[in-house]
Amino acid sequence: MRRTLIRFIAKYSLLLTLAISYLFLYLPIVHIGLAAFSKNFNFPYPPRWTLDTFGRLFANSLYQNAFGNSLVLGIGAATLSTLLAAAATLGLIRNPGRRTRLYLALFVAPLFVAEVLIGISSLIFNGLFLEIQGNLVSAVLANAVHCFSYALLIIATQLYRYDWRLDDAAMVFGASPMRTFFEVTLPLIWPGLLGAFIVTFIMAFNNLEISFYLLGATPTLPSVAWGALRYGVKPELYALATAVNLVVVLGLMVMFVLMLTGKVTFGHRPERERAV
Amino acid sequence: MRGRLAGSILLGVPALFLAALFVLPLLSMVVLSFWRTENYHIIQDWNLGNYWTLATGGAYVTFLIRSLVMALIVSAVSILIAWPVSYAIILYGGRYRLLFTLAFAVPFLTGEVLRVIALQGLLGPLGLINGVLMAMGAAPLRFIMYTNVASAIGLVYLYLPIVVTVIYLSLLNFDPRLIDAAKIFGASPLRAFIEVTWPLNLFGTLIGFALCFIPCLSATLAPRFLGGPNGTLYGMAMAQQFGESGTWALGAAMGVVLFIVSVAVIVAIGTRIDLRRTGFTGLGRS
Repeated sequence: MRRTLIRFIAKYSLLLTLAISYLFLYLPIVHIGLAAFSKNFNFPYPPRWTLDTFGRLFANSLYQNAFGNSLVLGIGAATLSTLLAAAATLGLIRNPGRRTRLYLALFVAPLFVAEVLIGISSLIFNGLFLEIQGNLVSAVLANAVHCFSYALLIIATQLYRYDWRLDDAAMVFGASPMRTFFEVTLPLIWPGLLGAFIVTFIMAFNNLEISFYLLGATPTLPSVAWGALRYGVKPELYALATAVNLVVVLGLMVMFVLMLTGKVTFGHRPERERAV
Repeated sequence: MRGRLAGSILLGVPALFLAALFVLPLLSMVVLSFWRTENYHIIQDWNLGNYWTLATGGAYVTFLIRSLVMALIVSAVSILIAWPVSYAIILYGGRYRLLFTLAFAVPFLTGEVLRVIALQGLLGPLGLINGVLMAMGAAPLRFIMYTNVASAIGLVYLYLPIVVTVIYLSLLNFDPRLIDAAKIFGASPLRAFIEVTWPLNLFGTLIGFALCFIPCLSATLAPRFLGGPNGTLYGMAMAQQFGESGTWALGAAMGVVLFIVSVAVIVAIGTRIDLRRTGFTGLGRS
């Protein structure tokens, strides 16, 4: 009797913590979401619906320009970091050797250096030692450094379970390494690459602390939002945050539906499923 | 032979990329920290003046200690919240585990600026909490308006998702049959947790701690927009050297200090980890 009671309490206190954490995480997002769609944006309860702020946001040329730059930044950094991380992961798994640990340490090191330090040190390196003015290219490169480690971890979780005997089989039957890669390896590992691309795109798109120091006067969405925040929060910012949130949620929902229908697994391993 | 060549290209290109765009910038920051800035001009004259300023200027020491305390508290609180959360997802998530974890990752992917904006909507003088309190006729809570508490809440909000994800991944790779084994041999659930689950997931927990501690230590946004006049943190003061005050050399020295503190924390954590005890089976499977 006492045992069941303890188990009951343990279960519900765990679930309660989970629920409160979700509430803590999503309450601010829902709050500004409501505020963005509402005329009384300071305290939107009950909301009086309007789409004015979105109209003003999308008509504003500064935000349009910034959106374009963020898009370029996101796509550039995500492509670069995904490609490099895929190469690094393949190299680490396929050619383990004495130096593997050293390489691995170098590859994950950017995780443990704060974004603002990557931004500032790249600014010093570019501005002072190479004498390059702030531009999109250096911002893409600096963002790719930070995104690289995340991409590496995402791809590695997927590739760790990959059965390399498939490659060996293809080669036994006479396929060249190149052909093996494109006909066997790539079709099996692309979900991991796609996952890494999506996550790093979102990270670079939203990054302030690295991009800010390397872009000079080029606006991006986070830097425009940061500037607006300094002069007091405006309803447009609520609309902007809500729009970005909606896109992120939509992207993850697509990923989830793809997973549910069994098209991709994203490293999910059903054989480990088990009720504790 | 050919495979080895391909392997060195696969590993070499990313390594070169990181050496050029990650290691070299960090080194140039170290070099700059030994120079000095005068009227927005950088003078290449090797000296320790910047470090002397940082060590003797009382404000900088205060900022550093405050940042360290803040990062420690925030990381500890995040881990305290993240453990039951990830454990609950693992135990009761069933086939929707991944959905629950992704739901935690969504805010992490929204970008810091937009999340700080969202937090001001919760904590600020016109925010949700104080708005509700005032609508009910109560006095607003002073301690969440532009104070260190608000900064701390903000930092937990910003970095909780990453800690949850790391601990969740650690628990996911942990074989729960080991708990069953412990229980069969007569351990109580609590004892099984302390002697099996906790030590075997210590690696993940410490990684989560590091991934929360380091950005908190050099946080620039949350203290600026949520903290009050007494809430200046080291990272924020450092960012100001590159913006308003234009003293790049001093800022670089602050960057080096932050970097050294981060490395010290990681080394301290690293010495506590025995990879084999965490079930780590090595790199590659050949």
